[in-house]
Amino acid sequence: MSSSLASRRSTGQPDIATGIQPQPTRRPSRSRTRSNLSGWGFATPFLVFFLVFLVWPILYGLYMSLTGKSLTGANDSLIGFANYAEALADADMWRSLGNTLYFTVISTVPLVLVALVMAALLNVGLPAQWLWRLSYFAPYLLASTVVSLFFTWMYNPQLGLINDFLSKMGLPKVAWLNDPNVAMWAIVIATLWWTVGFNFLLYLAAMQNIPAQHYEAASLDGAGAWRQFFSITLPQLTPTTVMIVLLQILASLKIFDQVYQMTAGGPGGSTRPVVQYIFEAGFTGYRLGYSAAISYIFFGLIVLVSVMQFAVTRRRSA
Amino acid sequence: MKQFEFFGKQVSRRQLLTGTAALGSVLVAGGLTGCGGNAQASDLRDIGFWHLLSGGDGIKMQAMINSANQANPGFKVHPTVLAWGPPYYTKLAMASAGGRPPEVAIMHASRVSGYAPGGLIDPWDLDLLAELGVTGENFAPRIWEKSQQNGKVFSIALDSHPFVMFYNTDIASKAGVLGGNGQLQEVTSPQEFMAMAREMQKVTQAHGLSFGYLGSGSQMWRLFYTLYKQHGADMELIPGQPMKVDRDAAIESLEFMASLFDDTIAAKAGDISTGIAEFARGDSGMLFSGVWELPTLKKAGLPVDAATIPTLYGTPAAYADSHSFVLPRQLNVDEAKRRDVYKFVSDVLKGSISWAEAGHIPAYQPVVQSQAYRDLTPQIHYANAADIIAYDPEAWFSGSGSDWQTYFAENVQNVFLGRDKAAAGWDAFEHRTNTLLSRPNPV
Repeated sequence: MSSSLASRRSTGQPDIATGIQPQPTRRPSRSRTRSNLSGWGFATPFLVFFLVFLVWPILYGLYMSLTGKSLTGANDSLIGFANYAEALADADMWRSLGNTLYFTVISTVPLVLVALVMAALLNVGLPAQWLWRLSYFAPYLLASTVVSLFFTWMYNPQLGLINDFLSKMGLPKVAWLNDPNVAMWAIVIATLWWTVGFNFLLYLAAMQNIPAQHYEAASLDGAGAWRQFFSITLPQLTPTTVMIVLLQILASLKIFDQVYQMTAGGPGGSTRPVVQYIFEAGFTGYRLGYSAAISYIFFGLIVLVSVMQFAVTRRRSA
Repeated sequence: MKQFEFFGKQVSRRQLLTGTAALGSVLVAGGLTGCGGNAQASDLRDIGFWHLLSGGDGIKMQAMINSANQANPGFKVHPTVLAWGPPYYTKLAMASAGGRPPEVAIMHASRVSGYAPGGLIDPWDLDLLAELGVTGENFAPRIWEKSQQNGKVFSIALDSHPFVMFYNTDIASKAGVLGGNGQLQEVTSPQEFMAMAREMQKVTQAHGLSFGYLGSGSQMWRLFYTLYKQHGADMELIPGQPMKVDRDAAIESLEFMASLFDDTIAAKAGDISTGIAEFARGDSGMLFSGVWELPTLKKAGLPVDAATIPTLYGTPAAYADSHSFVLPRQLNVDEAKRRDVYKFVSDVLKGSISWAEAGHIPAYQPVVQSQAYRDLTPQIHYANAADIIAYDPEAWFSGSGSDWQTYFAENVQNVFLGRDKAAAGWDAFEHRTNTLLSRPNPV
């Protein structure tokens, strides 16, 4: 549409839709200001939301982290970096930050690998592709509350489906959400089931874009299925993998919903992610300033991860 | 420019959009005045009321609200029920800080000390309450004392709800531990209590006592604090100072609790609902629980009686809290609505006999002294709890459903599961508490 308009303009014919004579290529500056203005006009609705709901809270949060601001409105004077100093010495903050990083590592690896395997399996040409695609992707559409409820019941030590299955197999029962050594893994399994569909879809789309000639040429040269997978499919998928890993790390760092709903951070604080600690410090503990300071420490960590990721990717592509 | 047909006239898109916007604002403005007009016409004042009672007691509360609404044609109370614990208190604090709270709300008395100093709630006007027939003398001393902060009354207690012991009279009778009056024999030491529980276990072949605690800091705290206070010990939380506590009493209480979970006296590990279900099935003779479970137990058709938790360390004590009415701070107080709230609260207090049916002990003494209350069993068997109740030590972070209780669970659950020594669990919790006390007080 826009290209056809552009080409019509370049021919110098009157525009059929508006009947206006085409402008010469170098417009007078008043007209440019005018078109700039209407451009801003179109951007304004977004800009207003962007400023009010993103830029302003970020700046205000930064200011808040330097105050003793409390939910009750008491004591909101500037206190410098006292909140940061306190947070850096707070063992519970470090512990929850550790939990978040632990979750990020042990969830990102399976979320990428399982998605890759599922996409590869589907790509070998199973019948009823739409059904597989749908059933792999469907859980992703559920709300976190629904997923948490499903898994809380399935993990129930006495009545749960999973322990029932285990005991029928003659295996010992597991206190999935009540054992500090197991709880985080239980949450990873639930998260895997819930969100793997998105990565799977990205991988599948990328795989279907690999030209068939590559495989044909490879099989003429006598390469087997495994050889083809490792020498053609995987290298061709590299940009997709980089993107998926980046998106997945950022998504995993945000972990809160499932944990809050399934274990509320327990047992013994072994699954409490840093986002929950921020929530507790600010909203149930009233200390908004302190909570904002932890948010900024966490934010710094995310920036660090992103920069590292960026550096690694650039080196690889260079 | 694109043209639109509109009632046969050619209208430009800009004209159409302008016209629609103008029409829209006229409609909105008209709608708003319409609303105001209606409210004035009916002359019924709407009172917002938040509470966190969602179980069987929520139904009783709704009935009390309905009868108050019927008795008072001038106002209508609209309840909003929110989830118990942190979600409730977070929302109430934020609504009050933001200046748009309900006119009246229920709070646990133990949480008031985190609200009153920060100015989130207003004190009650005792003269106005007295006009409506509610005075300090109508409350048990411990409850009335708890309503006050810095000499002002910030909460009006509806009840006290202690942590008590339910028991199955059939099983107790078969185990030979019933006294002459048909109630459980008195025991006065940990050893006697454990012997009694073992007798009951012989009857049930499962457990003697049910107490589910897994994952619930509140539940662990309730029994722990009962036993701790039975030592005659105090606990004080003063910001800027280490916690004042009798460490030996605390550790002894934890050790006793841990010794109960031996799979004979009580199940090694189970959550609250597992414990209640076990008692309701008749697989145990006793249940440590809050009085609010009474309706559930009665519905199960059990031969159930109740008493305060036996005094095992010399001083009678029962952990308790009170559902109390508070006045969240308004930006502009509507005097007519404030009066309505006072009337509503006094009506509910006077009608709290139906609240007693849900297991709670009414705070309003004329109800407790009425014949109707004396006829309620087993409620009357633990009514003495009101004189021995122990509220949480006061601090901005303590109280029912607070993060502090969660920290308790994080540090002592492993003691109960046999994975940690009582002293280690306690010291870790004390350390956590001291960290909180060293932090700036946000209220």
